[in-house]
Amino acid sequence: MEEEKKARVQVAVAARKRKGYTPVTPDMQLGFVHNNVDCIGCRACEIACKDKNGLPPGPRFRRVMYVEGGKFPEVFAYKVNMSCNHCAEPACLPTCPTGAIFKRTKDGIVDIDSSLCIGCRRCEAACPFGAPQFDPISNTVMKCNLCVDEIDAGRKPYCVMGCMMRVLDVGPIDKIRDGSYATKAVGPGERVVRQVRNMANPELTNPSIAFVAHPKGKVEG
Amino acid sequence: MDAKTILGNALNVSRRDVLQGAAGTAATAAAGASLFRAVEPREAKAFAYSPYPTDDELVTVPTSCAHNCGSRHMLVAHKKGDVIVRLSTDDGRYQGPQGGFGYDTEEMPQLRACLRGRSYRSRLYSAERLLYPMIRVGERGEGKFKRASWDAALDFIAGKMQDLKQKYGPHALLDQSYAGASYGVLHKSDQIEGLLGRFLGMYGCRTSSWSVPSYQATTFSSRMTFGTIEDGNEDDTFAHSKLIIMWGWNPAYTFHGGNTFYYMRLAKQRGCRFVLIDPQYSDSASAYDAWWIPIRPATDAAMMAGMAFHIFTNGLQDQDFINRFTQGMDPGTMPQWAQGQESFKDYILGTRDGQPKTPEWASAICGVPATDIVKLADLYARTKPAALKASWAPGRNSNGEQYNRMAAALQAMTGNIGKLGGCAEGVGKAWHAEGIAYPYDEFSNVWYASIKSDRWAHLVLNYPNLKREEIGLWPRSDNLDGVIPNVRGIFWQGSNWFNQLPNINKQIEAMKKLDLVVCNDATITPSGLYADVLFPVATHFERHDVALPWYKGHYYIHRPKVIQPLGESKTDFQIYTELAHRLGFGERYNPRASREYFHYDDAVDEAYLSAWWEKVQHHQGADISWEEFKARGTYKFKLPRLHVAFQDQIEKGVPFQTPSGKIEILSTQLAQVTDWTRTAWGHPIPAIPKWTEPFESLNHTEKRAEHPFHLITPHARWRTHSIFNNIPWLRETYEQEVTINAADAATLGIKTGDTVEVYNARGRMVLPAYVTERVMPGVVVVHEGAWLDLDGDGVDRAGNPDVLTLDEPSPAGGFAYNTILVNLRKTDLNHRPGWDQLATSRAHVFRRST
Repeated sequence: MEEEKKARVQVAVAARKRKGYTPVTPDMQLGFVHNNVDCIGCRACEIACKDKNGLPPGPRFRRVMYVEGGKFPEVFAYKVNMSCNHCAEPACLPTCPTGAIFKRTKDGIVDIDSSLCIGCRRCEAACPFGAPQFDPISNTVMKCNLCVDEIDAGRKPYCVMGCMMRVLDVGPIDKIRDGSYATKAVGPGERVVRQVRNMANPELTNPSIAFVAHPKGKVEG
Repeated sequence: MDAKTILGNALNVSRRDVLQGAAGTAATAAAGASLFRAVEPREAKAFAYSPYPTDDELVTVPTSCAHNCGSRHMLVAHKKGDVIVRLSTDDGRYQGPQGGFGYDTEEMPQLRACLRGRSYRSRLYSAERLLYPMIRVGERGEGKFKRASWDAALDFIAGKMQDLKQKYGPHALLDQSYAGASYGVLHKSDQIEGLLGRFLGMYGCRTSSWSVPSYQATTFSSRMTFGTIEDGNEDDTFAHSKLIIMWGWNPAYTFHGGNTFYYMRLAKQRGCRFVLIDPQYSDSASAYDAWWIPIRPATDAAMMAGMAFHIFTNGLQDQDFINRFTQGMDPGTMPQWAQGQESFKDYILGTRDGQPKTPEWASAICGVPATDIVKLADLYARTKPAALKASWAPGRNSNGEQYNRMAAALQAMTGNIGKLGGCAEGVGKAWHAEGIAYPYDEFSNVWYASIKSDRWAHLVLNYPNLKREEIGLWPRSDNLDGVIPNVRGIFWQGSNWFNQLPNINKQIEAMKKLDLVVCNDATITPSGLYADVLFPVATHFERHDVALPWYKGHYYIHRPKVIQPLGESKTDFQIYTELAHRLGFGERYNPRASREYFHYDDAVDEAYLSAWWEKVQHHQGADISWEEFKARGTYKFKLPRLHVAFQDQIEKGVPFQTPSGKIEILSTQLAQVTDWTRTAWGHPIPAIPKWTEPFESLNHTEKRAEHPFHLITPHARWRTHSIFNNIPWLRETYEQEVTINAADAATLGIKTGDTVEVYNARGRMVLPAYVTERVMPGVVVVHEGAWLDLDGDGVDRAGNPDVLTLDEPSPAGGFAYNTILVNLRKTDLNHRPGWDQLATSRAHVFRRST
């Protein structure tokens, strides 16, 4: 098996060098939306994801960040929930020497063909959002693939379907952004933003994610 | 492939390995070999990790989670052969014709499992699973066992039971079953309806444990005040409140009802305001944008008295409601027999004791500014309908029942009882599920003595030189009344009580004096390490049952035997039935079963359950057959109206279940006690709610000289008590840590991540510190349930706060889990989290301050 993989990878690397990298413009881009305020931070989404993907402790495709601040007793807290943002311009993709990372034309899902991954971890360093997760057991990098099998079956990913507060959802990111996508994640009168505090500049990769931001988590502009 | 290998593979999979490990069949092995045959790069397409069984390629079996968490959600097992490959949850498809993928309405919401439920696969297949009967070979507590045959283990126990009963009488065996394996209708574990209680009671040798660790103060209060613990509204009613006061309640952590937290989100969207009274700014406070009122632990009743003062003196009470429905709220509602005695209003205004319970008086005790007490009282009295949800945690204090009784008084004086959007909780038990499928008859819950649960060690260590009131001996009307039980053995079923009851060091001493300790469990636990015999118990995936909602929620979930029991594990029902056969009463204990039940349980369990479903059909109008229910997996009821406790009492004049038929602010029962030593409580309890000084608190300046911090021990979201402590996926999401206010930490020179020792006269524990502005100064927080891990000096390196708690309960039986003064210091001792932290992500809790 190892020999076969080696041969496959060699062919893939050569092809990668020959063909180079052409950005993919998807027919439709799927993306996540998360309500930073109403999220109770229960992490059911994280564990649903671990189970779905059979992950050992360590790699963590979805991460709920607990943010807090203020001075007693005037304090605040909110959650920022992120997995892979399936960016419009993924920084991971061009770094991959074997071409294992690809973006689907159909819906813009970014995924890694693990049979071509050599565990070089370049993508991990390139991603501004910490999405690629190295698994020392398989010596590969893995990440959220938006439960592509569920998407193809006409359903939604495990994290979204596991959300107890219904604050995490998935859909065409353009419609999520312009408010025309019906979702429980966004409450009446709430608007979504592309960026929240302490998050990397979305101009870097154009991540397919939107947030309902906490007042203290809002950024200028 | 042996079971362990299958488990290991099933859990430690990279996605490419999934099929090889999880299934290991010839067909999949062939598929695996052909995977890399092509050396040309394949056109990139999903699923990139193939071969990977998608959900639709696996066998789907709806079931539920099982434990005693305050909720009950659906799990959907996806299995290949006899191995569960993954779990999902309710997605709307499993509830019959009106369902469908994504169906999720306010009327019939999905029952989505929490993080614990989602991690069940790693509990089922954990390295800590017990697979064979084990008999102790080392010293008790040393943790040395050898594998035994079922025959040998059962004979050993049966023989011991006969010896102990003969030598020491009908008290000798202490039932410490609890709800850890509960909330099925057939395989039950608890003190009242449990299988163990019926087994020991029928055998004629049982001391039971009557006080409930989670909410005894609350239970007491609701029984005295309303005459019932069914004081709860269904979770959907919370969407209709205009104000929700979360008193010590953190629904983001401790779910109370399957979707309460979600309905509260809907309430927020509809303009409901939220208030949190708690020493901590919880995730509930942030998610519901609540007004946070930090309060000194164990002083809640004082603050409530201050609120009552403001309401009375400003005429904000609902006098009409008071006159019609309450007893003893004010002089006008005092019953004939109590004329001239102190009413609740007399107490609040200080007419008898000369101390008006003003907001200023309250402020000096509870630390909340008087202006805030007034503001909250005003808000609560003027907002209709308003829900004051008096949670259980503040009741887990010395005299915690006074907090619950006082809360009921506030709920009543503002007329918020029996009304949609109001709240009389308390206990919070709402719609009454049809709960029991096995024979519940005159043999169930038979006991020859019953003690306060947390006094067992005190009893064993001091027998026979103690008074009945020291152990809260429940009165009897026969010649066993007042007889101090001579407990010589303990049975655990669904219970890790040794780890969970207060003052563990005292329990360790008591444990040494016992002749027999028997533990039924699915995994090894800290209690199990102290057992003489470990019986391996099948998990709820490995036995047939039906899941009940937990106090709230109108639905049933079918729970089939998803896979065959691992190893030689058996159900509790099988084990007790077989023991009963060996002791000569097997046929009475399990009348539907023959002796074959130990090996073949399917037909008998099916018979019990289908007979139980007939009761559901008759009592609750379920309109589908048992077969249809099994095919769907879940049955969600639509109730005729949103269920609000006491609505009939208020709207139709149905009497409350109290002696007077009223809401008893003045308790008839308590007022008529003449000799408290002959009650189960043992010590006086006021007949009207009164602020009562706790054993210790931040106001006790003398005690604070040595132990300046008040420790509270709330429930964690990543465990159900001690269950799930061993799950790596969950361990990744938290630290067992002590939460310290930033200013306090600065004084002590402690930073986040420092290892500190928390100690008092009862014990010592070592754990990392988490420094934050979100907890009030003087208060530290450690979540209950970590698995005890003592070093050679008796220091708990895991951080189980029950090495510090006091085993002296409140008179009404409430555990004093949150009444603990402690001190802290930095230490060189290392914390032992009980698992491999190096295996996890770089920043595993993922937390930052801005």
